[in-house]
Amino acid sequence: MININRLGGAVSAVMLATLVSAMPAKAEDTLDKLKEQGFARIAIANEPPFTAVNPDGTVSGAGPDVARAVFAKLGVKDVVASISEYGAMIPGLQAGRHDAVTAGLFMKPERCNAVAYSEPILCDAEAFLVKKGNPKGFKSYADIAKDASATIGAPGGGTEERLSLEAGVPRDRVIVVPDGQSGLKMLQDGRIDVYSLPVLSINDLAKKANDPNIEVVAPVVGAPVYCDGAAFRKNDTALRDAFDKVLAEMKTSGEFAKIIEPYGFSAQAAMSTTREKLCAAK
Amino acid sequence: MEWDWAFVIQILPTLLQGVKITILATLLGSIVAAVVGLVIAIVRRSKNRLVSMPMGFVAEFIRGTPLLVQLYFIFYVLPDLGLTLSPLVAGVIGLGLHYGTYTAEVYRAGIENVARGQWEAAKACNLTPFQTWTRIILPQALPPMIPALANYFIAMFKETPLLSAITVLELMNQARSIANYNYRYIEPITLVGAFFLVISLISVIGLRWLERRYGRIG
Repeated sequence: MININRLGGAVSAVMLATLVSAMPAKAEDTLDKLKEQGFARIAIANEPPFTAVNPDGTVSGAGPDVARAVFAKLGVKDVVASISEYGAMIPGLQAGRHDAVTAGLFMKPERCNAVAYSEPILCDAEAFLVKKGNPKGFKSYADIAKDASATIGAPGGGTEERLSLEAGVPRDRVIVVPDGQSGLKMLQDGRIDVYSLPVLSINDLAKKANDPNIEVVAPVVGAPVYCDGAAFRKNDTALRDAFDKVLAEMKTSGEFAKIIEPYGFSAQAAMSTTREKLCAAK
Repeated sequence: MEWDWAFVIQILPTLLQGVKITILATLLGSIVAAVVGLVIAIVRRSKNRLVSMPMGFVAEFIRGTPLLVQLYFIFYVLPDLGLTLSPLVAGVIGLGLHYGTYTAEVYRAGIENVARGQWEAAKACNLTPFQTWTRIILPQALPPMIPALANYFIAMFKETPLLSAITVLELMNQARSIANYNYRYIEPITLVGAFFLVISLISVIGLRWLERRYGRIG
């Protein structure tokens, strides 16, 4: 007969061990820990071309591809990705669920305060997906704020949600959309007037939708080009600095451009700006 | 991460907006469930099997599939068939239909509890079926059911966070938006739990009262 008490003890010991191993490691030995375990845990969305999950379950997209290459050079063999809502990425990072966020999480001052960003990686402007002919003539987030009946869809916790709210669109007219496919469907069904994502993501979505009744407005007026970086925990600056060093080498060698340009991103845009500038921008 | 009272006070008004929507969805969903359940229960009692069997199948179908799947269906699939409902209406219908299949069982048990002689007496008095239901059967069957129905409505209340999946800005969705915007989960999510607990406890007190008031009959 199985001793239930002993079994319970064993189960709780395993759970405790899992719990302890999931706790954030101390800053200086994070890279060693990642090397030892052979992989880094990255947070991604599923928003091509920034991040993409292939039908066979493998992860691609410009963000994870750059992360995989940089981590490989740092001696961390692989990356393991988990899909997350944009807004949940930074709390997940802080809670030790991810080692880095490589998901097109654009640098904005409030995010720079919360995480340690690498130097810029993926840059893009913002875009709108609207019904054919842009019936309400939206060109900027402020235009949407002005039209009291207009609703805009955006990813939860994403840059577009924040830009809409900052432009004065009230909370109840900013519809949090779980993924690109839902956003497209909600636009087609007339549940939202605008669906907003970065230009490359909207173009990708519009191409896949192949629907003559929708069109892309890009770039959005008044929204500058943003760049993301790999985001690390605030106390993981050592890991971040190591990442930056390899990233800089890859930018110089042209390897960086070779990874991101097939996805449509401009290496020049990322190389012509810095984390310092982007984090200071209002 | 430490608990921040100033942040709590800052987000409280927004969360209360969510509480309002959550309560509204529960009340409207309860009304739909109460009506749908009664209709299902009465139709399933029909002697005409061409009527009662399909209704039985529909009820089992709804009860046998997850509420979340039904909500997605109502929200994302019905527009393809030409019916676009607002998120709140879609959510209320989803909750109401789903819980209607459960309340139907409550009604069934309550109706069966009415003594057979009452039906025969109604027939002997030459009452129409409508009069029999509204004057004789339901007035006796309904009061004992009230606590059981209220129990389902409290259960439904706790399922309303599912509506956040179809963009209803109820309590959970508001809390997630706040968390997304501020990178803080501890206060919003804790408060969501606290709101649900407080409202549930108040509802349970109400339920006890209903049980005392109606529970003994039958």
